[in-house]
Amino acid sequence: MKKQVAKLVAGLTVAAFAALSLPTTSGAAASLRIWADADRKASVEKVAGAWGKKNGVTVTVVQKDFGKIRDDLKTVDLATAPDVIVGAHDWVGELAANGSVIPLTVSKSSSAKIPSYALDAFSYANAKGNKVLYGAPVALENVGLVVNTKVATVPSSFDDMVSQALAFQKKASGNFGLVIPGGDAYHNYPLFSGLCGYVFGKDAKGNLNPADVGVGNAKLLANADAVDSWNKSGLLSSKVDYGIAKNAFLAGKAAFWVTGPWEKDTIDKSGLKVKIVQMPKNKCDSVPFLGVQGFMVTKFAKSHGVESQARDLVGSYMLSEGAQTQLSSENGRAPANTDAAAKIDDVLLKQFAAAGKGGVPMPNIPEMSSVWGDLGTAWTNVFKGADATPAKTAFRTAGKNIKAKIG
Amino acid sequence: MTSPATQHNEKSALRYRPSWLAWLISLFSGVGGLIVKIVLLSLLNAMVGWAIIVLFTQDRVVWALGTLAVLAIFDFVYLRPNKLLPAKFILPGSVLLVAYLIIPIFFTINTAFQKYSTGHVLTKAEAITTNIEQNVVQGERFFLMTPARDESGALVLVLVDDATGQTYLGRASGLEEIDPSTVAVDEFGDLVPPAGLEALVGDDLFGADAELAAFEIPMEGGGVIKTEGISGAYESEPGLAYDAARDVMIAADTGVEYADNGRGSFVSPEGEELVVGWREYVGFENFTAVITNPLVRAPFLRAFVWTIAFAASTVLISFAIGLFLAKLLDKPKFRLKKMYRSLLVVPYAVPGFLSLLVFKGLLNDDYGLINKLLPFDAPWLFDPWWARISVILVSVWLTTPYFLLVCMGALQAIPTELVEAARVDGAGRWQVFRKVTLPLLLVVVTPLLIASFAYNFNNFNNVFLLTGGGPSSDDQSVAGATDILISYTYKLAFEAGKGQDYGLASAISIYIFFIVAAMSASGFLRSKALENMK
Repeated sequence: MKKQVAKLVAGLTVAAFAALSLPTTSGAAASLRIWADADRKASVEKVAGAWGKKNGVTVTVVQKDFGKIRDDLKTVDLATAPDVIVGAHDWVGELAANGSVIPLTVSKSSSAKIPSYALDAFSYANAKGNKVLYGAPVALENVGLVVNTKVATVPSSFDDMVSQALAFQKKASGNFGLVIPGGDAYHNYPLFSGLCGYVFGKDAKGNLNPADVGVGNAKLLANADAVDSWNKSGLLSSKVDYGIAKNAFLAGKAAFWVTGPWEKDTIDKSGLKVKIVQMPKNKCDSVPFLGVQGFMVTKFAKSHGVESQARDLVGSYMLSEGAQTQLSSENGRAPANTDAAAKIDDVLLKQFAAAGKGGVPMPNIPEMSSVWGDLGTAWTNVFKGADATPAKTAFRTAGKNIKAKIG
Repeated sequence: MTSPATQHNEKSALRYRPSWLAWLISLFSGVGGLIVKIVLLSLLNAMVGWAIIVLFTQDRVVWALGTLAVLAIFDFVYLRPNKLLPAKFILPGSVLLVAYLIIPIFFTINTAFQKYSTGHVLTKAEAITTNIEQNVVQGERFFLMTPARDESGALVLVLVDDATGQTYLGRASGLEEIDPSTVAVDEFGDLVPPAGLEALVGDDLFGADAELAAFEIPMEGGGVIKTEGISGAYESEPGLAYDAARDVMIAADTGVEYADNGRGSFVSPEGEELVVGWREYVGFENFTAVITNPLVRAPFLRAFVWTIAFAASTVLISFAIGLFLAKLLDKPKFRLKKMYRSLLVVPYAVPGFLSLLVFKGLLNDDYGLINKLLPFDAPWLFDPWWARISVILVSVWLTTPYFLLVCMGALQAIPTELVEAARVDGAGRWQVFRKVTLPLLLVVVTPLLIASFAYNFNNFNNVFLLTGGGPSSDDQSVAGATDILISYTYKLAFEAGKGQDYGLASAISIYIFFIVAAMSASGFLRSKALENMK
């Protein structure tokens, strides 16, 4: 019996020691945790670190896969939760509906230099239909038409692009005219908008209206025959995936490539002579989807007692020209701040930014998750070659399915 | 007290060397064993004790108490010498079973009865404050701000109007205009408060976080000035208020009342919903939604038939090939047997994710290796029927090595006398195989076949990574041609509506559980019949 007691005591002693060594962080000075992805971690560390130094706040940047930042926010424990996240504007609707991020108010002098569409992209309508801001836009990205100027000229019109592409394609076997990743609703958006397609319409207050689905709208369907002709002539094929498109263009075997600034370094290194422009106007302007990245303050900042600090970093410091210039140069994306944007000296980055003119921010309402799959399937089906679905049918079906899924 | 055993060991040391396992077990007896036991138990106590404290600090009382109870059971069982021996062996496995199987099942069932989806993740109390926060009406004026304290320690905001440059002091009692010349600006652009006030900096500022966020300066006309971060403030009016007595949210300007609809939302009489809802128990709503939802009903039968076809053909073809190869390798005179055996197991050793992505490339219509090698071009991933074939082929590639291994083992276990006796009785090779080998093999393998069927029934990865459920089927519905029930469920629960619907997903997975359980049960009943034959 005594032996047993001794054992128990031994066990409990170790337990007590372990308990004593518990971290007692509650009284420590302010520290801010930021979640950022691998691409942005270094730049965020630098820029947010500079702010932290000035304010005496320790800034820790935790690296996460981009998509995980949004997903893990739902399940994270308070102890390890971030106070600030770096994310994409199209998460905002979901994060706001879940109460994961908190509304920000920014002064007119800080927001004056941010384009209104970028602010709108980070806003989500409240019960009254008023736009509520949830993040500080810092970087913009969009796809452009990358022209290999050795084998093609910057097209003067949409038809010129098509005929140049087809001519180059016929020149040699293994040649591609225009390469766009097949079945990808994001990369194909310039074609889609050029045919007067849209995803969601807007209500009277200018907010996206999930009841107005523009996939399969009458105007698009009227223009859809063109898609069948591109399939027939072999201009586009859904069998070309992202890798095939990229490799073909980098090998000089494609005249035009639709891609974004994340491939800027690859293009630079390839030594190809290129010019990036917006895809020429077809029936409507062939504008790309705009992606806006930015900083958001999470609900956890409150519980961590750093809400006011986090708001200062995001809503004030990150909108400034200095911070955005530095972020942009580290990160290879066009800054949202117009003063900072005017200072970009990277030629390709400037061209990508110009190619986004008039672009449509990706819808940020949660209903968008009903769209990607079906719109992508439609693009796959219309460029399947011999047994392709007629574009009219494909887009009408996609529109019908998306409406059903939104419910 | 250990001398007889030691003597015995010394004598037999030359003839008998205990294996490492026996040696390991021997560690747990005698004095050494006692020490090992106490050290391990102490470590367990220490680590779990630490976990319990962490759980308590995070207010997870139920979890903490549960963990404490489990720890107590461990200590009790292992501290009693030579007693409760079976429990010592069963306990660790049982605890893991509960932790990783029973608790998740409990959660799934619990979730299936809740409205738990995008916009319904918070508690009701959190949803109320979040809605109020999101509906604050922002006024025209914005101020640059520096928080300070007066002699009494009360919070005072030094404010400069962003547009007019007019300076103010803001107290909990109200706003007071002051002479702009009394407020200086330092080298960082921050405001320096007038004499008598001390600016909040460093730890004082960090410590005032909650106080700052809650601080409001009342203004004439009902509005307030709220802080924004540590250097801004703005004029605002509440847009929504919560009436706790009647459990309604009331719009400040129109007076419209949003009432709890019992399904995790505040809804106005016109049917307008507030953006943020909460998790709420909704009974069987998710279960009935599965049945009444036209998106589910329409393609269900097709997806169901395809799921069975996919799982059954994957299992049967893999088993047939695996058995055939095992029979081949079973021949004693087979040359390079080991090499073949290793090569055949390779698909099993490579992570499935990788194989699937590689196959996706190989099967590309125009640029894939397979079509380049074949004399004809097959639309592997683009035609509904070809895509179905592709999915089955790749699944067979991934599953065959498993059955090869299983069959090789099982064939070894069949007594050779039985086969020889049959041969002596004049049975041919085929007859022996059909009448002796196969039935005996099936006794062993049938439960594995059923398990493999159940696994493939829910083989999300194979379908999702290879075809994503596509291509779209001929009836143009949301379910693709190769969508099995579970991948279709995923599309419904995570790629429809507003994104995530955990409640619906849990309800469907419970349905699928019953389907798989029913099919497995009938399978096991048949295998019982096989066993009786023996």
